Amino acid sequence: MITKYLMTTAAAAFALSVWGAGANAASKWDGGDDLPTSPLECGTGAAAATAPVKYDGGQPTNPPNNAGKEITIVDVPKLIGIGYFNATSKGIQDAAKELGNVKAKTDGPTEAKIDEQIKFIDNYITSGVDGILFAANDPVAIAPVLKKALSKGIHVVGYDANSTPDAREWFVNQAQFNGIGKAMIDSMAKESGEDASFAIVTSTFTTPNQARWIAEMQAYAAKCHPKLQWLETVEAQEDNNLSFNQATTLINKYGDKLKGLFGMTSVATPASAEAVSKAGLCGKVAIVGLATPNAMKPYVHNDCVKSVVLWNPIDLGYAATYVLRAAVDGKLKPGDASVEGGKLGKLNVINGSEVLLGPPFIFTKDNIDKFDF
Amino acid sequence: MSAIPITSAAGPRGGVLRRFASQEALLAVAVIGLAVIVGFVNPRFLAYRNLADILLGNAYIAIAAIGMSMVIVSGNIDISVGALIGVLATVSGSLAVAGAPTAVTWLAPLVLGVAVMAAQGVVVAYLRIPAIVVTLGMLSILKGGLISVTGGKWITDLPQSFHLADLNVLGVPMPVVIMVAATVLAALRMRYSPSGRAVYATGGNAEAARLCGVNPQRTVVMVFAIHGLFAGLATLVYATQLRVIQSTTPSGLELTIITASVVGGVSILGGVGTVVGSTLAAILIAEITSALVFINVSPYWTDALRGGLILVTVIADILRRQRRAARGWKK
Amino acid sequence: MSIATDTAARGAPWWLKRHETLLAIILILALIGLGAFNNRFLTVDNLLNQGRLMTEIGLIALPMTFIIITGGIDLSVGATVGLSAVMLGYSWKTFGFPMPLAIVFALFIGGLAGFVNGFVITRIKVPPLIMTIATLALYRGLAEGVSQAHSVRGYPEWFYVLGQGDIFGVPTQLLILIVLIVIAGVALDRTTFGRALYAIGSNETAARFSALNVDRTKLIIYTLSGLASGLAAVVLVSRVTTTRMDMGMGYELDVIAAVVLGGTSIFGGSGTIWGTVIGLVMIQLLKNGLALTGVKGDATIVVIGVALILSVLIASSLQRRRE
Repeated sequence: MITKYLMTTAAAAFALSVWGAGANAASKWDGGDDLPTSPLECGTGAAAATAPVKYDGGQPTNPPNNAGKEITIVDVPKLIGIGYFNATSKGIQDAAKELGNVKAKTDGPTEAKIDEQIKFIDNYITSGVDGILFAANDPVAIAPVLKKALSKGIHVVGYDANSTPDAREWFVNQAQFNGIGKAMIDSMAKESGEDASFAIVTSTFTTPNQARWIAEMQAYAAKCHPKLQWLETVEAQEDNNLSFNQATTLINKYGDKLKGLFGMTSVATPASAEAVSKAGLCGKVAIVGLATPNAMKPYVHNDCVKSVVLWNPIDLGYAATYVLRAAVDGKLKPGDASVEGGKLGKLNVINGSEVLLGPPFIFTKDNIDKFDF
Repeated sequence: MSAIPITSAAGPRGGVLRRFASQEALLAVAVIGLAVIVGFVNPRFLAYRNLADILLGNAYIAIAAIGMSMVIVSGNIDISVGALIGVLATVSGSLAVAGAPTAVTWLAPLVLGVAVMAAQGVVVAYLRIPAIVVTLGMLSILKGGLISVTGGKWITDLPQSFHLADLNVLGVPMPVVIMVAATVLAALRMRYSPSGRAVYATGGNAEAARLCGVNPQRTVVMVFAIHGLFAGLATLVYATQLRVIQSTTPSGLELTIITASVVGGVSILGGVGTVVGSTLAAILIAEITSALVFINVSPYWTDALRGGLILVTVIADILRRQRRAARGWKK
Repeated sequence: MSIATDTAARGAPWWLKRHETLLAIILILALIGLGAFNNRFLTVDNLLNQGRLMTEIGLIALPMTFIIITGGIDLSVGATVGLSAVMLGYSWKTFGFPMPLAIVFALFIGGLAGFVNGFVITRIKVPPLIMTIATLALYRGLAEGVSQAHSVRGYPEWFYVLGQGDIFGVPTQLLILIVLIVIAGVALDRTTFGRALYAIGSNETAARFSALNVDRTKLIIYTLSGLASGLAAVVLVSRVTTTRMDMGMGYELDVIAAVVLGGTSIFGGSGTIWGTVIGLVMIQLLKNGLALTGVKGDATIVVIGVALILSVLIASSLQRRRE
């Protein structure tokens, strides 16, 4: 009985490994969604100016004229309870205070589930808010409820994670996908060498932003750093311990062959750094990733991690609020090329209905202590 | 309510050899066998470092599964333990950051864990609300409460002394020490102490147990309290391993723990199962997760495979039990 | 556990003492209270919308009531929803099925998943909790494997009427739910099938000896559970216009909460569809009412948790006082 059980398991495992190895070889770095990639130019050249694109956002139907009046808005991020969205929420509160005529509240699901997020937004539509800020768990699934909001005259502005363009007025983009891809790959090439092998720790293959970033990273690396070798990508949800375990498994699996780890979420990156640190491989395995500064301070200070790529999420929330206010006041209309972003100055409109926050922000040993989120 | 004859693993008359033809033996063989097989495909799997990491990274699941096994043996279940671990980790970490003495930060999750779980035990035993309802409700309360109180802020900046999991005892890392010690102590208690056997009795047939002088209610409360203690222990290992404590409850943790108990041979009908089994099962599940990465299984299929393996193990266990029951207890 | 007490004591208003009535009273009080706090709560628009949003859970709660009455449980429903949703998209896009066929296929997969559960539970006698925990992991994993983490979108317009449209002013899926509620309620109350469920839940051994085909009945209810999950998946995909492999995650707990709140005992032998409906409505409206009143998400789930325990506490203590 036991032998029979073992034999079948052994056979299955062997068959799987053969098939799995084959299936993995040709695959992309992630799930992705087959959208086209557009890698930037190699080197440090500035991004080529893109031709202006026609406005492609959605507009609220007969919105009440609240220009200059106080409005109530709600912010529904992907989930609450992680440092990143705490930071965006803070930015939103800062902007609301500065503007003086915006009352903002952050509310959302405790897990990154699109169904829950939809229900939250739906409830706020019913309770009659003037504006909605969102970071979508799924770009297509969130569209119907956002369109419903628009149809009721509610202003809708997204940030961090987009929806389909016609479901919101504006989307504040922290950085373009290809910009992130470039920043990440360039950092890795610089820190671990042009022919290094690396692995990726992401949340899930279905998280849209992460999937896009990885796709852009793949395209950019193929173009500008062709000798970089991708080993594999693992999922770790948004769980600290799981990310740590997965990163450790990768380190053990590849041994000396692994020269770098990418962390694609603010959970994966510190956990990967901890895994490298525990394995005593600081300096031998480069860690490049997106993360919030507080979690990374110990590793940046002991030189385990050289640089942390992010944008400033506080600024992101701040900008989103200003964009929403401008849309309500009629100061930002379809076809405009820029908008006033309070202390951030003038923000440019790109891709029709996206407002660009700016270039990615790199946290290093020198500046990381200035931030507390 | 069941058609499966209930066999008690608690009796000392079973004989050592009989106990070996059991779920524990099957699991031990599976753990070793899997390591050997994967070692063929990728020898790096067998590196000491890797095997140690598998144990270290997942010891907390095994520890929590000990308490869970006891709860299930007593005829109940608990789905709030994942949320509780999240809360306890936050409490412990907050105390550490606030400068409390290290001993306090380590004791707090134990005490609080016992308190919360014992309260649930009281509701289950004396107010006779089914455990699944109480723990389902508590799950929501803990999850929501945690976010409300912390506002979602992570705890970073933990003092170095907080990290219990980094310590060694005679060269063996603390998580492994706690896991092994807890398993051994719990196993001995369940098998040889009257209060431990009372748990099996309560789970098997509460009325019969009462007639034998066992107090089922008190047993259930005690079981939940001990479960809380183990949850606290698991939290210590879980929270002190990394430099960041998330203020969310780890999603799916309770399911993993229950799976470890169930695969470990604990019968949900109550009355059967050992904690050694659940520890071995927790190790096996962690091993499978790592193995799937090592043998290059396409990452899209790892979850399906793990689920499939669990299913196979469970079915094998049931079939084995039935075959043994059909054979009877002939020596 | 008390078919006897249900039919006996018909003297004084027996319906007044039932758990369901008590729950209904609490529900009405809660509605009035929440409605007082917030003038957008008790509007037809809002209530119909809530009906639309609770359909997926409601569909699954119906066979789950059957299952829990027999003393079993099915934790794999959420994963089955994910698997069916993925199969819907996959068969439509990759196999090229015409949409109606894809829908039938998704239902078939759901039913098959439930059938596998039922088969192993009845033939190999794996306890339901264990089996469905294992299939929970397996089905979710299959959803991920088959979909390769891709979403499928761009369905034909008519498909969205199911999840987003109205018929005679009532959301389409809500109508379907109401019809199925009536069918399920009648089946439970008035057919031998329904009575068999109570018998199995009260004393399975006795039921077997009473020449009831226990295994076949169980097989049916687990298959129905899978089918309901498949239907819920189709409705969900229609509502959000896309498929994701993580759809339905966590549904099992919501469904069980609704069923248990409705008075179905987890030990088996008692419970009604009407109770489940009230439990379902109560949870949905409570969440909605609290949100409209300005209570944030995390506090809301605390309230739901407390409400769940309290109401079961009250109901069970009243029941014990009656005995």
